[in-house]
Amino acid sequence: MIEIKKIAFKRGENQIFTSLSARIKPGEAVLISGSNGVGKTTLLQLIGGVLRVQSGEILINGRNVEELSIKEQAHVRSVAPQRRNFTLAYTVEQVINFVPKKLKVENANFIIDTLGLRSLLHKKVTELSGGEQERVSLALAFSQKADYYLLDEPFSAQDSKSIKNIIKVIKSLQKADKGVLVISHNQEALTQYFDREIKLS
Amino acid sequence: MVALFVLSLKIGILQIHESLWSLVGKHSIDAQTVWGVRFPRALGAIIIGAGLGIAGAIAQGIFRNPLAEPTLIGLSSGATLGTIAIIASGASGFGTRMNVVSAVTAALLTALLVQWLAPNKGFGFLLTGIAVSAILTAAAGLLITMSPKPGIQSLSFWNFGSLSLLNNATVGLIAPYVETGIIIAFFVSRRLDIYSLGEHSSHYMGVNPKRLRLWAVIALAFLIGASVSAVGSIAFLGLLVPHIVRLMIGPAHRRLLSLSGFVGAIVLLIADLLARTLFEPHEIPLGLLTSILGAPALIVLLKLRSASWVSND
Repeated sequence: MIEIKKIAFKRGENQIFTSLSARIKPGEAVLISGSNGVGKTTLLQLIGGVLRVQSGEILINGRNVEELSIKEQAHVRSVAPQRRNFTLAYTVEQVINFVPKKLKVENANFIIDTLGLRSLLHKKVTELSGGEQERVSLALAFSQKADYYLLDEPFSAQDSKSIKNIIKVIKSLQKADKGVLVISHNQEALTQYFDREIKLS
Repeated sequence: MVALFVLSLKIGILQIHESLWSLVGKHSIDAQTVWGVRFPRALGAIIIGAGLGIAGAIAQGIFRNPLAEPTLIGLSSGATLGTIAIIASGASGFGTRMNVVSAVTAALLTALLVQWLAPNKGFGFLLTGIAVSAILTAAAGLLITMSPKPGIQSLSFWNFGSLSLLNNATVGLIAPYVETGIIIAFFVSRRLDIYSLGEHSSHYMGVNPKRLRLWAVIALAFLIGASVSAVGSIAFLGLLVPHIVRLMIGPAHRRLLSLSGFVGAIVLLIADLLARTLFEPHEIPLGLLTSILGAPALIVLLKLRSASWVSND
């Protein structure tokens, strides 16, 4: 379980969270919504361990995120950030294989096929469209074996067919008792696919 | 490479007509020229060329900048100052172990200083490197001018980069340092692929970006410190070689490092051969030659850059 306990976070003068609490259970898919600037990405970065809370705590499987090493964090949660630097001309296949062997899921082929990346495997990632790059980034996150998956705006550059395919992967994760947390600002059409919605304001 | 190596032993002011094998174990002038002068020089070119090629690949990867090069980001100037300081202070002479250690240490400190001073990882980082580099070069120049030690002025030839000072002893001295640098470089190479996706991506996939940067900088200090201490700073090699290799085989770092080492060795062998034969009997400083050839190549490469490195800024 991910437990967010009364966390506070301030960026410069801007108080983003004063006392936020929430939980994500195994097998659950949770949508986090809210307008720009309410701290959706900040929340994901706090759970992901790249930012630190100023008070309160975030526990994953009962352990404080800030006390886990970077390696240990990678075993309990996987993150698809909003943006990755695709600056070097790796092939899609190379990028997906960046996941270290110890961390790699067994069903990588299912992910590649469902996200429609099979035909792109030998293309250079720098030459793909924004939507294709986003799906490569998601495939990379899904290929990392973890208990929780945190996805930052995974649908922002996708058409309705691709959105359905991404949802398909999320459902398969839920079936395997994984928890999924998705951030999105255009949530209306999406709420039906999730167990719960947390609105930040 | 083998052919180039043999050619390097044969060609020079003193023409060698006998077969090289016939000179093994002899003490003639020819044998002395081949095994005492040209052999360490060619071997040094291979070791240092490989080290510089790999250093360039590591620097571009770790600073996520296609223009990051040891001479641009201050490491070479640090190593130069380290070398000159130890000689000017009279603590040790040129080509000694203390000289190498001092160059490696100074390169490491410079890299850490630039990282600490730099406002961000992009062009701010590069500009900080250039600024620090300028200060250190000036300091080294001052030391040379003011030092009462006889003969220190002759170091300006070394300062431009030249393999003419290599002998069997110095090659043996720097080899372990270059090798250590290469081993660390390969040790971090796979993580550099993950790291290329960005600071956060790297953290999310279990690679500590700070620790990776430290290892990479240590590798750079070994590679650059050792080579500068022996042959001075050789410009452009570390900048150009990885770009050419990336255009050939793509960006995956393990292969990029291997081939950059190989191509670096070949390029330096050729460059040194040209430096000492082009205007025979005069020798041009190697660093000048690589600058003359490297700078135009860099301009062409910048035009082609999108092929090997896409800018996200």
